[in-house]
Amino acid sequence: MKEKKKDDGEMAEELEKNSYRFWIWSIASMIFRFCIILFPENINLSSRPELSTPLTSLCRLAEGYWLKQASMSPYSGSMYHGSPLLLSLLGPLTVHGIEGQWNHHLCSLVFVVSDILSAVLLRATGQQLEKAYRLNLRRLGLLKASRDRGILPCGDIAALVYLWNPFTILSCVGLSTSPIENLAVIVSLYGAVTRKQLFERRVPLAAFGLIMATHLSLYPATLVIPLIFLLGYGLDAPPRKLFLQTRDREGEPGQDKLTRTTQLPFLWKTVLHFVFWVLVWSIYVLVLCSLSLKQYGGLEEMFKRTYGFILNIEDLSPNIGVFWYFFAEAFDFSRNYFLIVFQIYMFLSILLPLARRLKHRPCFIAFVYLAFSSILKSYPSVGDAALYLSLWALFVNELTDMKHSFFIFCGYIGFSLLSPVMHNLWIWRGTGNANFYYANAMGYACFQFMFVEESVSAMLNHDQALKKATAEMTKN
Amino acid sequence: MAADNRYEEEEVRTDDGSPITKPRPIVRLGIFLVAHSPVFSVVFSAAGVLALLLLPLLAKNTYISENALMPGSARSMLSNRDASDGSKLVKDIKNFRLNHEGQVQRLIGKYMSEMVAEVYYQKFQPEGNQFHPLHFFSGPASYTLLRNVSCASYGVNVVGIIRAPRGDGKESIVLVTPYDFINGGDYEDLSLGVVSSLFSLLSRVTWLSKDIIWLVADSRYGDYRPVAAWLAEYHTPSFKVSDQLKCDELNTADNFRRAGTVAAALVLKVDGRSERFEDILSIYADASNGQMPNLDLINVVNYLAVHRQGFHVKVEKVVSLLSSSWLKIVGEIFEAVGKVAHTLNPDWKFGIPAAEYIEGSATLASSLYSQAFGIPTGPHGAFRDYQVDAITLKISPGFPPDSKARQHDFFLRGSQLLEGTIRSVNNLLEKFHQSFFLYLLTSPSKFISVGVYMIAFALLVASLPMVAASLYVDGCKALTKSTHNSAENFKSWKWLDAAKQVFALHLLGFIVTLLPYFICQVPGQHSPRNRSIMWGTTSSLLLVTFVTIPGCSPFSSRLHGTNWAILKSVTISAAFIGLCLMSIINFATAEIGALLLVPTCLLAQPIKPALRSRRVKSLLGAFCSMVLVTIGFPVIFFAITKGLVGEGLVGLSLGGEFWTWLESLWAWKSATYLYIGMVHLPCWLLCVCILFHPS
Repeated sequence: MKEKKKDDGEMAEELEKNSYRFWIWSIASMIFRFCIILFPENINLSSRPELSTPLTSLCRLAEGYWLKQASMSPYSGSMYHGSPLLLSLLGPLTVHGIEGQWNHHLCSLVFVVSDILSAVLLRATGQQLEKAYRLNLRRLGLLKASRDRGILPCGDIAALVYLWNPFTILSCVGLSTSPIENLAVIVSLYGAVTRKQLFERRVPLAAFGLIMATHLSLYPATLVIPLIFLLGYGLDAPPRKLFLQTRDREGEPGQDKLTRTTQLPFLWKTVLHFVFWVLVWSIYVLVLCSLSLKQYGGLEEMFKRTYGFILNIEDLSPNIGVFWYFFAEAFDFSRNYFLIVFQIYMFLSILLPLARRLKHRPCFIAFVYLAFSSILKSYPSVGDAALYLSLWALFVNELTDMKHSFFIFCGYIGFSLLSPVMHNLWIWRGTGNANFYYANAMGYACFQFMFVEESVSAMLNHDQALKKATAEMTKN
Repeated sequence: MAADNRYEEEEVRTDDGSPITKPRPIVRLGIFLVAHSPVFSVVFSAAGVLALLLLPLLAKNTYISENALMPGSARSMLSNRDASDGSKLVKDIKNFRLNHEGQVQRLIGKYMSEMVAEVYYQKFQPEGNQFHPLHFFSGPASYTLLRNVSCASYGVNVVGIIRAPRGDGKESIVLVTPYDFINGGDYEDLSLGVVSSLFSLLSRVTWLSKDIIWLVADSRYGDYRPVAAWLAEYHTPSFKVSDQLKCDELNTADNFRRAGTVAAALVLKVDGRSERFEDILSIYADASNGQMPNLDLINVVNYLAVHRQGFHVKVEKVVSLLSSSWLKIVGEIFEAVGKVAHTLNPDWKFGIPAAEYIEGSATLASSLYSQAFGIPTGPHGAFRDYQVDAITLKISPGFPPDSKARQHDFFLRGSQLLEGTIRSVNNLLEKFHQSFFLYLLTSPSKFISVGVYMIAFALLVASLPMVAASLYVDGCKALTKSTHNSAENFKSWKWLDAAKQVFALHLLGFIVTLLPYFICQVPGQHSPRNRSIMWGTTSSLLLVTFVTIPGCSPFSSRLHGTNWAILKSVTISAAFIGLCLMSIINFATAEIGALLLVPTCLLAQPIKPALRSRRVKSLLGAFCSMVLVTIGFPVIFFAITKGLVGEGLVGLSLGGEFWTWLESLWAWKSATYLYIGMVHLPCWLLCVCILFHPS
C-alpha cells in the first residue's frame, strides 16, 4: 500500500513536470508562429494552392466581405464559398489597413488562438483517452502497476504534434481558415469524450462542434457516426468479448461492480439528448445564416453556393486533391456519373464497413473518417492533414507496432517538398505541365492511404494481441 | 522516380519482422536486392558513372520537331539596300561619337523612328539583385522592389517596335542588342548594324504577323540587368510614380509601350575577331537554374546558320578537357568496342570516333557545368523567367572591323540569319512546345534528352534506398538485441531518435543558409573575406551549440542507444530525398552532387573500430571515407574545381573567392545555393558524425 502511494506521488510529480514541459513547448510554438507572421511578404504563403483552397482562402473571404459591405451578395461572382457566419466573424478583421494591405495580423492572431485552443482541447481529450486505456488494461488484468510508466501521455503528444506539425503551422500563418474548421472538429470530439460529472457528457458542446464543423466544411458530417458511438458505447476500448472472457474467469462476487460497468448497454438516452441538441444547433445556425443573407437570396443561395460548390466540384483550379484534374479531363456528359460515383464511394465503401469493424473504438473511427475525407474531399489542403495526423497521435499507445512507419514518414516529407517544386515547374518555369503536379498529388494520396491502412491494421493487430494475451492469462 | 518505386518494393518487406509465407516476385526481388546491397550498390554506382561517360555516345542528332517552323523554306527578301542602311548607321554612330559626348541613344532612336517604328526610352536602376534565399519558389513578379533611387547612375534602354501588318498586336518577337552607349567598341557597333539592316527590311515586309521589338540594352551595367529591368517593366507595370522621372534628361515619362506576349527572343552580340578566317557563331542557351529554351529554337538557328549562311556554329566547351589523356583513352576504348560490335552485327552502330567523343564530352561537361551553377550565360536568361524562349547569338567576325567590303557582306548574312529565324517563329501559332525543354547539348546539332541522361542519375542514386533499407534492418536487429526491454515497446519507431538528429542538422543547414542574409545587413563595408570569416565563425558556433544540446547531437547518442546504422540509414534517406528533389529542379546540380554525396554516404562508417581492428581492408575503407569527406566539404570542392579549371588558388583568398562565388549564386536566385546549404552540407555533417561515431 505504501509502495503504491509512493508510486502515485512520483507519478504526480512526473505529470507536473510533463505539463510544465508541455506549456513551454506550446508557448514556443506560439512565438514561432508570430515570428513567421511578422515576415509574411518574403514568403507569400497565402497564395499557395496547398494551403488555401477556394473554401479556406482568407483572400476570398475578404473579397466576400467587401461584396457584402457593398450591399451585394457575398456569393456573387465565384469568389467566396464559405459560411456567412465566418464572414461576419472574420470579415471585419480583413478590412483595409493603413498601407492598402489588409490587416492580416489580426486574422493571424485569431488563427493562432484557435490553434492553441485546439491543442488544449486535444490534450484534454487525450488525457481522457489515456485514462480509459489504462483502465481497460487494468480490467483485462494486463497491466501491472510497475509497467504503468510505459504508457505514453498521448494527450500531450497529440497536442504537441498538432502545434508543431509543419502543416498546421503553415496553414495557420498561411491565412487559410482551416484552423477554425479544425477547432470545430476538435470541440465536437472533446465534448463527446470528456465528462462534466461522472456520467454526464458535454453533449450540447459535442453537438455544437459537429454542427459548426459540418456548416464550415460539410465533410465532418460523417463524424456523426463516431460521435453517436462515443456517446452510446463510451470511450475507445478493446472489443467487448474480451471483457466477457475476463468476467468468466473472474466470476467472483467482488468483481461484480467492475463487470457491470464493462458491459455498458447502448445509452439511448444520451444519444437522443445528442440528437436533440444537434437539431437545436442546426436550427440556430440556419436561422443565423438566413438572417445574415436575408437580402441576398437567403438559405437557398447559401446551400447552392457552399454545399453545392463542394459536392459539384465546380472549381477545378489545382490543389493537392485527386479530383480537380480528373474532372478537368472528364467529358461533360459523364461528369454527373463520376460525381455520384466518387461521392458515394466514400460512404459505401469506407464509412459503413469501418463503422462496423471498429465500433468499439469510436475516436479511432473519427480519425479514420477525417483522414479519408482529407484524401477524397473536393478541395483538400494540408490543414486537413494536420488535423488527422494529430488525432492519430492520440493512439500512440495502441499503434506502437505500426509497420513501415519510416517509409511512410519519408514519403510524406518527400511529397510535401515535391509539391511546391512541381508547382513551380508547371506555373513559373513552363517546363512541366499539369501532369507533374497531379502526379505529385496522386503520390501524396497514395501515401495517405498507406498511412491510414497501416494505422487501421496496427489497431486491429493490437486488438488481436490483447485477445491473445487475455487468452493466455485465462489458460494460466 | 524509378528509384522511388524500387524503394517502395523493398520497404514493403524490410520493416516487418514477421515472415510472409509467399511473397510476390517483386517483393522477393526487393528482398534479394536489399540482402545483397553492398554488391548491388557498387554495381549500381559504377553503372551510374559509366552511363555518364557513355552519354556523348548516346547523343541523337537534332531535328526540327515543330512542322510550322519551316526554316529556310522562304527566299530571303533582304537586299543590299537594307545592308547599306546598317552600314550607314554604324558610320553615323562613329561620327557622332567623335563629335558629341553621350546621347547615342537619341541617334539610334532617330534611326528607329525613321523606319516607322514606335520608339521610347526606358530608364532603369543598375543594381537590383539582392539576396533573398526564398525567391526560388516565387514567381518573377513578386520581388520588384521600389527603393529610393539616386539620379547619379541609371541606364537608358532604347526600344523600337514595328507593328505587324498581319498581326493583332497580341504576340511579339524581341531582338536584343546589348550596347554600351558610353564606350562601345567597333564590334558592338556591328551588332547594331546587323539588326538595323534587318529592321529596315521588317518595316517594309507584309508577312509579319507578330510585332517586332528591338531593344538596345544599355550594357554599361552588365548585359543581364538592363534586359531584366525592361522585362520586369514589360510584364509587371508599376503604377507608382518612380523617382527616376524627376531626374530627367530624356523624356521617358509614361510612354512605355508593349506589344503582346513575347513568343521568342534573340540576343545578338558581336565581339572580338575570330582566330579563323570564317565568321564563328556561338550559341548560348543556359538560363538560370539549368533551364533551357526549347530545342527547336536552337535547331532553327543552327540549321539556317550552317545550311544557308555558312557560319561556323559552335557551343561552349571545357577547353582543358580536349587535351586530357584519360578522356582520350576512354574514347578510344568506346571506339574499339563500337568497332567490335559493328563486326559482330553490322546493325549495331553506336561507336563514334574518339576525337568526336572527346569533343562531345567537352561540350557536355561545359553544359553540365553552366547548368549546375544555375547562372545564365547571357542576357537571354532574363527571358526564361517569363517563360520566353531565348538564346544569345555571339558572332565573332573573321575580319577586322574597318574592312568595309566584308562588313557589308557580314551585315547581309547576319541579318538574313535573323530574318530566317524570325520568319520561322512568325509562322508559329502556339508557343514553342513541340520539342525538348530538358536536354544537354554535346554539339550544336546533337543533344541528349532527359529520358537518357536521367538514367545515369537514377543508377547513381538507386543504391541509396537499397543501402538505407538494409542498414535499417541491421540497425533494428542490433538495437533489439542491445536494449531488450525498451525496444520491445517501439518496434517500428526506433528511427525517431536518429530522425531527430538528422532533422536538427538539417535545421542547422537551413539557418546557415539564411545567415548570409543577416551578414549582408551588418552595417559597414566589409570585404568578402571578412564576411566569409563572419559566416564561418557564426556557423561553427551554431554547430557547437547544436552539438551540446542533448538529444539533438549525434554524439550524445550513446545515452539513447541509437546505433550508427540507423543514423546512417536515415541520413541516406534524407540524401536520397534531397537529391531526387534537386534532380527535378536542376538536373546538373543533382548529378554532380550525387557524384560527391553518394560515395561519401555509402562509405561513411565509424573509423574507431577500423583503427582498432588494424585490418588492411577496414583501414583502407576508413581512409577512403576520410578522403571523400574532405573533398565533399563545399569550400574544398570549390577550390579543387577552380584548380581543375586552371585557376589554382589555395590560401587565405579562398574564403573571399568562395563568398564572391556564393554572391553570384544568390544574385541569380540559383537553387544550387539552396542545395548546398540544405542538402549537401547537412548530409556531409552527418557523414562526419558517423565517421567519428563513438560506437
